[in-house]
Amino acid sequence: MIYYSLRRLFLLVITLWLLTIFIFLLNYLFPGDPLTNMTGIRAGDEFAYNIARQAYAFDQSIFTQYWHFLEHLLSGNWGQSLVTQRPVFDDILPLLGATLELSILAMLISLVFGVSLGLYAALNLHRPADTIIMGISLSAYSVPVFWLAQLLILLFAVKLGWTPISSQINPLFDIDVVTGSILTDIVLSDVPYRAAAFADALNHLWLPVIVLAVMPLTMLIRITRDAMLDVLQKNYIRAARARGLSEARIMLRHGLPNAMQPVVRQLGLQFSILMSNIIIAEMIFNWPGIGSWLVKSIYERDYPVLQGGLLTLAALILLVNVLVELFHAWHYPQVRKELYAER
Amino acid sequence: MNILDIRNLSIEIETSNGPVRVIDKLSLQLAEGEIHTLIGESGSGKSLLAKAILGFINPRWKITADRLWWRQYDLLALSRAQRRQITGRDMAMIFQNPGTYLDPNSTVGEQLRESIPSHDLPGNILTRRKQIQKRAEELMHRVGIKDHDAILESYPFELSDGVAQKISIAMAIAHRPKLLIADEPTTAMEPNMRSQIYRLLAKLSAGDGMSILMITQDLTAVIPESKRISLVYCGQLMETGPTEDVMREPVQPYTGAMLSTSLFSSETKPKSRLPTLTGAIPTLQHMPIGCRLGPRCPNARRACIEQPPLRSYKKHEFACHYPLIEVDSHD
Repeated sequence: MIYYSLRRLFLLVITLWLLTIFIFLLNYLFPGDPLTNMTGIRAGDEFAYNIARQAYAFDQSIFTQYWHFLEHLLSGNWGQSLVTQRPVFDDILPLLGATLELSILAMLISLVFGVSLGLYAALNLHRPADTIIMGISLSAYSVPVFWLAQLLILLFAVKLGWTPISSQINPLFDIDVVTGSILTDIVLSDVPYRAAAFADALNHLWLPVIVLAVMPLTMLIRITRDAMLDVLQKNYIRAARARGLSEARIMLRHGLPNAMQPVVRQLGLQFSILMSNIIIAEMIFNWPGIGSWLVKSIYERDYPVLQGGLLTLAALILLVNVLVELFHAWHYPQVRKELYAER
Repeated sequence: MNILDIRNLSIEIETSNGPVRVIDKLSLQLAEGEIHTLIGESGSGKSLLAKAILGFINPRWKITADRLWWRQYDLLALSRAQRRQITGRDMAMIFQNPGTYLDPNSTVGEQLRESIPSHDLPGNILTRRKQIQKRAEELMHRVGIKDHDAILESYPFELSDGVAQKISIAMAIAHRPKLLIADEPTTAMEPNMRSQIYRLLAKLSAGDGMSILMITQDLTAVIPESKRISLVYCGQLMETGPTEDVMREPVQPYTGAMLSTSLFSSETKPKSRLPTLTGAIPTLQHMPIGCRLGPRCPNARRACIEQPPLRSYKKHEFACHYPLIEVDSHD
């Protein structure tokens, strides 16, 4: 297990390193001056520009330049935004918090409901419940996120008026941004109207979370159902019945844990899909997360921001995938054995 | 006294070509503490019979019998829940490929412990756990595993087939069943392990008075402790009787053929071809009418399109119109 973990982590480091090379090369591939692209300091500001030129070793070879770029990257100096002139790294953390809040909640909801609905469908195979669940999940899977989001806004926000159309919270609640995750920030703040603010934030939150949860939810339903059907055919389930164990025990101790194995393995992939959907959803709901920030930076040709956002999202996806793989190997001894065998 | 009494059991399954009787009027009696070996080629319905006894038949299949009794219970008259209760309490089964019958993601110990009935143990949860652990170790010793600590902590994929089978046996006998059905328990196992398993089963039967229905493919696997054997072909009973009698004086051509296929059969001269039945067991879609051995039987004649009744010769019973030995006809 240790050997396997080290190898996975090593692979993660290598991938991240390749990512930084790509980001570095982007500075040269974008139109304009590479140094401005990298640091966000314009050539017009001669004093600052010359300091940056020294700091990033732009008078030397491209390898030295990369080395200095990497040094700055690792020390948290990610340049400044061309538009706002604010340091990129300081802006990213609250944005990341907002994005994580959405994605974690969406992932949790899709996991809980996806697995339980999938199990329910598998246990009621070919009965009406199964047909209905699978039918709805297939049609929901086929709906693109941007369209679904607008439909739901039209229904819940415009027609029914249950929820606001966009943003994290009513700006009248003056909550200081600390982590970016609005619920955490409200809990951390010491304003007297915390409960009201929390309720308002939840009211803003549930619609984007549902929109984001739909895609992984429908996929998890299908994966869980297939996995459970597969496990139910297994000999050890029949043997457990032959030993006279109760049906509940068979399902809870032998059926479910084994059926969860392929589901767990899929979680990393589901998270990646969620991350590409979150960019769209944040734009539509005007959510102050990394996704909408990234898209805005593209429109504004704000290259330092673009790089920072890209790096953060890619690193996040990589990290989650590695964590899922490590958990999978740690929790399922059989997988571990296969990994040893391949060593 | 017979604890299992099956008379004229038939199972019909639906295929795309209409219903097929995969088990055709099969009879089997099993006395208490007796080892009975059921022999048949693959596809002869042996495993299906085992499932029928345990009550794990697809509910859509039609199952009829003059008698399917377990001790004083008529199994066909019982509800599913009652049936399940009897199966769980009195019967147990072990299979071939024992590794696939163990949950790959929980340890051997967890699975063995959960097979031990805990409701009749005295004390509270904590003391019960200790007793269950003790009983688990005791079971491991009974099936001949000495390093129980290591094995209980290991996962099924870390075990060899033989050890996995021993653990299956330990799990099967955990609730002290009256009947153990062993469905080809040693197929694809090395000879050493094979004889260990057989000896273990014989010992368990002798010690606890547990009846064993041993299901196997060939006559060479019949162990000396097996008192009776039955030969089944395509779901029809060919011959049944005390092991020695049947082996010495086979009456049914199928039994004769099975015996002479054995490499160690004394009647086969060296360098001569082994006398075997031609062809292969028919598929479900092409079941012959009458005696199903007909198309492959060297003695078959016109009368064989009628299913022969079960007749007796000395201590055994057989079903054949043209037996290998002249038998006085009672009709």
